[in-house]
Amino acid sequence: MKKYEILDHTADIRIKVYGKNLENLFASCASALFDFLVKCPPKKNIKKEIYLEAENYEDLLVFWLNELISSFYAYHFLPGQYKIKLSDSGNKKILNAVVAGTDFNPYDNKIDKEIKAATYHGLKIEQTDNGYAAEIIFDV
Amino acid sequence: MYEGPLEKINDSTYRIPKSYKPGMRVDGIIYASEKLLPDIKKDKAPEQVANVAFLPGIVNYSLAMPDIHWGYGFCIGGVAATDPENGGVISPGGVGYDINCGIRLIKTNLTLDDTKNKLEKIVNALYQNVPSGVGSTGEIKVSVTEEKRILLNGARWAVQQGMGTQADLESCEENGAIEGADPDSVSPRALERGKQQAGTLGSGNHFLEIQVIEEIFDEITAATFGLFKNQICAMIHSGSRGLGFQVCDDHLRAMAGCLSKYGIDVPDRQLACAPVNSPEAASYIGAMRAAANYAWANRQVLTHLTRESFEKVFSRSWQNLGMDLIYDVAHNIAKFEEYVINGKKKTLCVHRKGATRAFGPGNQALPRKYQTTGQPVIIPGDMGRASYLLVGTEKAEQETFASACHGAGRISSRSQALRELDYGTLMQELKSKGIEVRSAGKKTLVEEAPSVYKNVNDVVDVIDAAGIARKICRMRPLGVIKG
Repeated sequence: MKKYEILDHTADIRIKVYGKNLENLFASCASALFDFLVKCPPKKNIKKEIYLEAENYEDLLVFWLNELISSFYAYHFLPGQYKIKLSDSGNKKILNAVVAGTDFNPYDNKIDKEIKAATYHGLKIEQTDNGYAAEIIFDV
Repeated sequence: MYEGPLEKINDSTYRIPKSYKPGMRVDGIIYASEKLLPDIKKDKAPEQVANVAFLPGIVNYSLAMPDIHWGYGFCIGGVAATDPENGGVISPGGVGYDINCGIRLIKTNLTLDDTKNKLEKIVNALYQNVPSGVGSTGEIKVSVTEEKRILLNGARWAVQQGMGTQADLESCEENGAIEGADPDSVSPRALERGKQQAGTLGSGNHFLEIQVIEEIFDEITAATFGLFKNQICAMIHSGSRGLGFQVCDDHLRAMAGCLSKYGIDVPDRQLACAPVNSPEAASYIGAMRAAANYAWANRQVLTHLTRESFEKVFSRSWQNLGMDLIYDVAHNIAKFEEYVINGKKKTLCVHRKGATRAFGPGNQALPRKYQTTGQPVIIPGDMGRASYLLVGTEKAEQETFASACHGAGRISSRSQALRELDYGTLMQELKSKGIEVRSAGKKTLVEEAPSVYKNVNDVVDVIDAAGIARKICRMRPLGVIKG
């Protein structure tokens, strides 16, 4: 199954991402994002735990991607492998992830594109015959 | 594709009636022309104008300028004012990630003839001196304490470091530092990202251009600004870099919960917002202003580097080269400004998402030298055709919350540009027009090719015809530095 495809958007990057389940969808979104940023596959010598909560899975997906973008630029952590657990607690959706990656300075190394953030605009997570799909717009 | 209603009011204004979608509080108004309409309807930008009309407390209209195109949340070219006394909200989506992305125009006393054999040298010097490109870092290394001073003092900080003069500050919107910035509302992450990028141009549509004035439309005003035909100018387009992106993200995240907390119904979560008088809004406003000040400091540093580059090439001081700042405008920002609404003076929260403030003559916020002319409104086009200088009008204050367009506006996507254009042909095309280009990224350059933009002449003509700003002069690019 293809992980993502690029759709047209006048100013920014718009992609449709697929996953066989929600966890897999979240991981595919992160891989797609870093495909745009860095072409080389990262080493996985550092592990980082991430905990996030939101009112719904759409918000949680944006929080997750922006968490990875900001830790890349602020703390130079380039992620490459994702172990994700999603759960419900009351009216909250929760993400627990262990991300393996490496120390990568985006200012010393050449990166392909500057992505400012994942946006909420038009974001919808849909159930498909093969699992889940989401359309996301990244501000560039 | 937009298939909803768009009613012609006159040759430069079109209406989306509030009956289009239940929940719209006001009509949408788009400034456009018959010529521009097909491109405007091609994407979802008009739908976004309708979505913004849902914002609580919105006053008069949800507006869009003729450079309108599809953004996220607000369209690019969107303007909306809300009334804090009437439940009005502030939305980080109405400002965008690049807080105080803006533009400045610097004049010189050089003419086209003076630069004829030196253009390549100037462009090379600028490319060497001015950090640009994806994830570029600056020469300016600051501690967190120093960075917080930047967030409070904006361009004033750079001037205190010897990178400019008092006259520069007077030629900036808000004198280069907006009051009410709160560095404590800026997260450690945003500070970390800001520390690494002070004094950098960035990538995407950010640029530094050397231009020549090719046509004057209003000789008297141009002369007041010290501008004449064949004069060389420099234009700088940059913003608040990673610091601004992080501030927007942090506060959008905080405001996602405000929709349910304050019972706000908007059709797009990117329009997450909070009542202006709420603690969440106060925190965002303080942080947004801090990020705006960072951007003003950034453009002041870039100005200093530009002046240094010219000094090197011409072996004259920048003062001797007459490199004075004409003006610096913010085009991604929310500001509190006074307007008369139904005969009553009101302080409104004006969101400009890809729109330029355009105060008319006599506005007290303008420096004395622009009291009779109105505020300089700087409109970059694309790197192959032209850019403009206009001035704001009283009509803009009555009709558009003193706002005009901010550029040409894109018509085709980045991926389409990469599919249809190639770097070599583009470079050759620009070279044949006498334009020297230096770019850190080949892809970025292709994505920003002139053909992906509307013709800025058409966009500016709508603004001029609508009377919300007046054309003063048009500049043609000679040298381009892209990220």
